[in-house]
Amino acid sequence: MADEDEDVPNLQAPAVEDVEDNEENQEYLRTLSKLAQLSIYSGTVHNTSSLSLPKRGEKDFESHSTQLQLSTLETSRAAMHSVLSWQRTHNPKAHLLAMYHEASNMACVEKVKSSHFITIGRSWGGKEWLLPEEALFMIERGTLDCRWPILTGEEGPEEAGEAGEANKLKDCAPMSLQGAYAAFLGFEGGVGGKLTMEMWNVYAGLKRSGYVVFRHGDWDEDRAALQPLKPPTIDPNKKPALLSGFFAEIWRRISQPTHTVRAENLAFGPLIKPGLYRSYADIYRLLHLIPTHDRTTPPQFSLPSNPANPYRIHFDVWKTHGSQRFRKANRPPPDFHVCVVDARETSIPNAAQLNDLLATVPDDPPPTTSTNIFQKLKHGTRNVVLAIVDNGIPSYISLLDSPFEGEKVYDRGVRGGRGKGRGGGRGRGRGRGRGRGR
Amino acid sequence: MGVQCNAGRPVQRSAHGGTQHQPLSSKVTALLPTTTTVSDRRQVAMAMVVEAQSAGAQTTEDVLKSDLKGSNTDRAPKKPRAKRPNFNELHAKPLPLDVYPLPAFIPHNPISIVRIAISLISHSIWRPKSHAIIHKAYFSPETQSVHVTDPESIRALWEHGFWGAGSLSRSDPRWLDQEKRRRGIDAAATSEEWTKGRRDERRQMKLERAKAQREAIEQQLREEGKLGAESKLEDLVGEESVTESPRGTLYPADAANPLGNVTGTEGSVVKEISKAIAEESPDFDIEIKNQEHLQLTFEETFFLIYVLGVLEVYQDDITLQPTDLLRLFCEHSEFTPTKRPIQGPIASDDPFLLNYVVFHHFRSLGWVVRPGIKFACDWLLYLRGPAFHHAEFAVMVIPSYSHAYWSETPELVEYSKGKANKDWWWFHRLNRVQSQAHKTLMLVYVEVPPSRHMNTGGKDEMLDIGAALKKYRVREFIWKRWSPNRNRD
Repeated sequence: MADEDEDVPNLQAPAVEDVEDNEENQEYLRTLSKLAQLSIYSGTVHNTSSLSLPKRGEKDFESHSTQLQLSTLETSRAAMHSVLSWQRTHNPKAHLLAMYHEASNMACVEKVKSSHFITIGRSWGGKEWLLPEEALFMIERGTLDCRWPILTGEEGPEEAGEAGEANKLKDCAPMSLQGAYAAFLGFEGGVGGKLTMEMWNVYAGLKRSGYVVFRHGDWDEDRAALQPLKPPTIDPNKKPALLSGFFAEIWRRISQPTHTVRAENLAFGPLIKPGLYRSYADIYRLLHLIPTHDRTTPPQFSLPSNPANPYRIHFDVWKTHGSQRFRKANRPPPDFHVCVVDARETSIPNAAQLNDLLATVPDDPPPTTSTNIFQKLKHGTRNVVLAIVDNGIPSYISLLDSPFEGEKVYDRGVRGGRGKGRGGGRGRGRGRGRGRGR
Repeated sequence: MGVQCNAGRPVQRSAHGGTQHQPLSSKVTALLPTTTTVSDRRQVAMAMVVEAQSAGAQTTEDVLKSDLKGSNTDRAPKKPRAKRPNFNELHAKPLPLDVYPLPAFIPHNPISIVRIAISLISHSIWRPKSHAIIHKAYFSPETQSVHVTDPESIRALWEHGFWGAGSLSRSDPRWLDQEKRRRGIDAAATSEEWTKGRRDERRQMKLERAKAQREAIEQQLREEGKLGAESKLEDLVGEESVTESPRGTLYPADAANPLGNVTGTEGSVVKEISKAIAEESPDFDIEIKNQEHLQLTFEETFFLIYVLGVLEVYQDDITLQPTDLLRLFCEHSEFTPTKRPIQGPIASDDPFLLNYVVFHHFRSLGWVVRPGIKFACDWLLYLRGPAFHHAEFAVMVIPSYSHAYWSETPELVEYSKGKANKDWWWFHRLNRVQSQAHKTLMLVYVEVPPSRHMNTGGKDEMLDIGAALKKYRVREFIWKRWSPNRNRD
């Protein structure tokens, strides 16, 4: 099997013979025939948009020795091998040359020839500059041909004349992938702003998944600025009605006598003295004792600025749907804020670190139109995505500040509504799939 | 439910086949006369199954099925299916206290004003009491809990706010009802039975799905000519042509049979039948003694005493006061209870105090908070209670040592780090369990005040509980997995 891997036509031959009237196999065959054509005309223009990777089929967990199973397995193996054995080359028309710039640890692109630059790089001095992670990403996906500068010491590459540099670029030594990794990871200036392997992993993973990813800020600061609270929206139609307000006040005083907890009860209990209470909400109001984080006051940092604090926002991430209109010079507010941490170097954040991290992301309270308590609580007021990278494997955790204090369960009109019929809620779970205990 | 299960078993044996059960028929028929009640139709059916084994399994099954249906419909008027209680009515009170709301004011109905006036006057003359009854409980240091044994108190505490858990039930203390139903005495259906029924149903569904898959494989094998028209997949395993399929993972030929019962031995069949017979005779009307008590956690107990004042806890016939209880609970909060009583001040990061702070916080917001050991967390939050909704949030308590006091000396720094720092593997284990159980994981950070703020001098000086609890501060963070593939749009 391993020997055959080298030879693409050999691999395709059995696959074509095994023509089965199966939808999945047809899929593979289509992919294979496309690849076969490409391998013939390799070197010419590829229309990559018509290509697609073979789909994953259904997974069987044990062999049941049917011919069908064996042939399905064989075709999918063959498809995978032929995808891997396809030779990838630089298309001469879209050949993108860049020069490594040592002082800034960036790559400088003379002529932009790719649509990637909608979401990558920044223009400066008439050229396109790629940050280390951007350059590395482009090199790794085979779009960019980066060159080492010639160390003449006379003039930097950016000062050279137009024609002179074009010639020079061609003559420079190409940067290998290993070289690129060695050059771009961890050689940057700035406060802890060096690109680490973990950050690069997350950047590349998100880019490959189709997100638009940019650095949050310029990574020169220990942490980003505080983000103020969103001003509460005041309903302009709301006017105090004098007369009805008067009666409402009387009714409130009759129906809700004010109770207070005396100091000795607070000290030695019980908080709720025997007496006359009009509603359970009155009792619950007396129970409030434990202070919580006040989400209505502007956020403040609780730790001093420290470059060793790993909990900073590293990347701003946008969903793809806006990428058509995406302008990198004038970016909309990001959809996600990603903080990258190394699983082996850090422990879960403590309250102060979390407070400071969440203070630097914009306030995003749940919509006031929402009435579902779970929806509101799970929306949170501020949220950040933590990317925990363990030796190259990222695990993404969405972390949000949940406004429990604002959602008093006892104040909801709990009775009625969902409580009817089968005892409310989701009832006895039929069709819940997996068992879920109470 | 139990009816079908018990009667269903003999069918499995017959389908499993064979001659080895042949001597059973005599045993069963020998057993039949010994039952004093007019043996109901199911036992007849059982005997018929065993007798009919020689006639062939297929027909037996049909006979039994029709017979079972008949017996069910016959029994229906005698023993109606227990109705589910009205949980809205049962759990109308969220706390074990009584409130007296005024009648509703209806603007277009002047009588409503009169009704309000009457209740206002009557309430001011005969002042109603919010605390109808003070329940009694006993401190049990061995089980690290507080026991309530009075059945009325048990019901009241469970129904009004879901306090505690039955010592012999899942949580709702219904052991007596379960036991009665097991012995055939009429009692209300318990939630455990509903769960069991649901699980059986799900299992049946899975078995049928497995059967369908298996049949598809067999069909494919027949088409490819690898399997004879009559032979089964097991034959191929015997011939070792299906090599990677260990026998254990093969699905049974008859998916109607649960897997576990296929390997039944003769002795167990007899046991099953005699057990079934024993269950059918509810004649011996012995009064079943309720052996169940309600177990309250320390936090629940402290809330019921210090906050609501509806409970009294006794230890050696002495009523314990809230301040004593706080000390006592802190002494017993660790799994290995400290033998000596705590002499000095209580540590401000005592597990009992941290858990209580979180418990109190969510209870005071109106959530029903119950222990989360089943889901590997500290607390579970229910909206209204476990009878209405599944728990939505799984709470884990994380102590936080942000106060300047905790960084005063290197020892304190080291100590607080050891307590607060959890590695990412710990977190991912927790998160994985919670997402499997469809719970939302919430880490609640509790700011721990310096221990000197809890200073009470010694055992004689009374601790101001309210002031101490107000020194803590909680903050809720929800953590959940974020998948790049799901959020891209």
